[in-house]
Amino acid sequence: MNLDWSVVWQYSGALGQGVAITLGLTFCTMLIAIPGGIVLALMRLSSNRLVSGASACFVEFFRNIPLILLVYWTFYVMPVFTDLSLSPFATGLLALSLNVSAYNSETFRAGINSIRKGQTEAALALGMSQTEAMLKIVLPQAARRVLPVLASTWVSLFKDTSLVSVIAVGDLAHTALEIRAQTFRVLEMLTAMAVIYWLLGYPQAKLVDRIYKKWGVKE
Amino acid sequence: MTAMAAELQNRKNADQTPVVEYRSIRKLYGEFVAIGSVSARVNKGEVVCLIGPSGSGKSTLLRTTNALEEIQGGDILIDGKPLPPKKADIRKVRQQMGMVFQNFELFPHKTVLENITVGPLTVLKVSEQEARKRAVALLEKVGLSDKADKYPANLSGGQQQRVAIARALAMQPDVMLFDEPTSALDPETIGEVLNVMKRLAEEGMTMIVVTHEMTFARRVADWVIVFDRGSIVEQGPPAQIFDNPQADRTRDFLSHLGWDG
Repeated sequence: MNLDWSVVWQYSGALGQGVAITLGLTFCTMLIAIPGGIVLALMRLSSNRLVSGASACFVEFFRNIPLILLVYWTFYVMPVFTDLSLSPFATGLLALSLNVSAYNSETFRAGINSIRKGQTEAALALGMSQTEAMLKIVLPQAARRVLPVLASTWVSLFKDTSLVSVIAVGDLAHTALEIRAQTFRVLEMLTAMAVIYWLLGYPQAKLVDRIYKKWGVKE
Repeated sequence: MTAMAAELQNRKNADQTPVVEYRSIRKLYGEFVAIGSVSARVNKGEVVCLIGPSGSGKSTLLRTTNALEEIQGGDILIDGKPLPPKKADIRKVRQQMGMVFQNFELFPHKTVLENITVGPLTVLKVSEQEARKRAVALLEKVGLSDKADKYPANLSGGQQQRVAIARALAMQPDVMLFDEPTSALDPETIGEVLNVMKRLAEEGMTMIVVTHEMTFARRVADWVIVFDRGSIVEQGPPAQIFDNPQADRTRDFLSHLGWDG
């Protein structure tokens, strides 16, 4: 077998750019999907049936279709239906945000439901409104409680961003696969890609473990 | 002399409009009658203790006072006015009533000081400085000045409950509601909480206290209401309830607790 690892160094600049886009995409997705998840969870818990029903439909829809299909759909179908034409990055970001918001919504809903009813009652007894009780008392506690779950979602998301490579976003997976196609160095590029994902993913996973230990529910 | 006339003569500020009046309150959980038809009054400056077996409806009655529980019949009058139907107006009523819970329900993500300031800051919109000043004074009053920057999890049960009392007092309420404030406490910390409550009573605070602490009720209460199965068995001054109970069920209840005067 004739391996030539120099191809990895030769294209290190492009790979580095791919890493930057992958990390940027992960970060931007979470930046949208955390507030998105909170809003969807609050809507779901609303006493207004229309509002909670709308949230439930959104969440169940986007949680239950394959992410790759969502990526393709936003890229090929959405522009046709909506006249909305986004860059590949923005399209990937949209697809991932829809999916992760739906997941985060369930995470926050579970977190909010895990806070004792007495906490809300104590806030109401002070004269707070339901909204004030939720924002000042319940949500901050729920957010802390679900932090480990959000961290896990982050790590999954980091790996799932590779799916947007199918619409040429320029992330790490897409870049590596492009180089493979140009140089025919299949084995080297796929291995390098695996190593880079692992090197970036492992510390994140370890960090999640530590967050679990520190913030996990101990009650 | 009728019972009503005797009550008027014997009770504090009985000639004034009661601070809280329950008129034929009914509370249902589905088919289950939690409170049958209960009428009682709490006058200004009185300490009224609600006693009775667990599940008899006394906590439920207390929780109807600030509309944490809805009622299905009757009226609750606060300062002579019925509890308002609108949520925004109920909030005004709640601001005048401090509530202390069995499980403290301090906010675990806030420091002791923040627990006490959050109500005045959020609800009364007082300045940060004013809220802080009040909180510091209240912590001194409940003997916990050194705990201001601690989190609730680092305090004993008795200390947590004293903070909870301070939190309620920070709203400068007209009435304090206590829902079994010592039931979740270790025996050795019950005293410190009861002492704070006793001092509050001596300062003239109007208090409604659901309690199993008979010694406290005997010594501090101006009026005792005995509950059983969702209705009032007997009410009267503590001397009557504890030394000369009129109802068999009062006697049964007290003897079950080993009360011997």
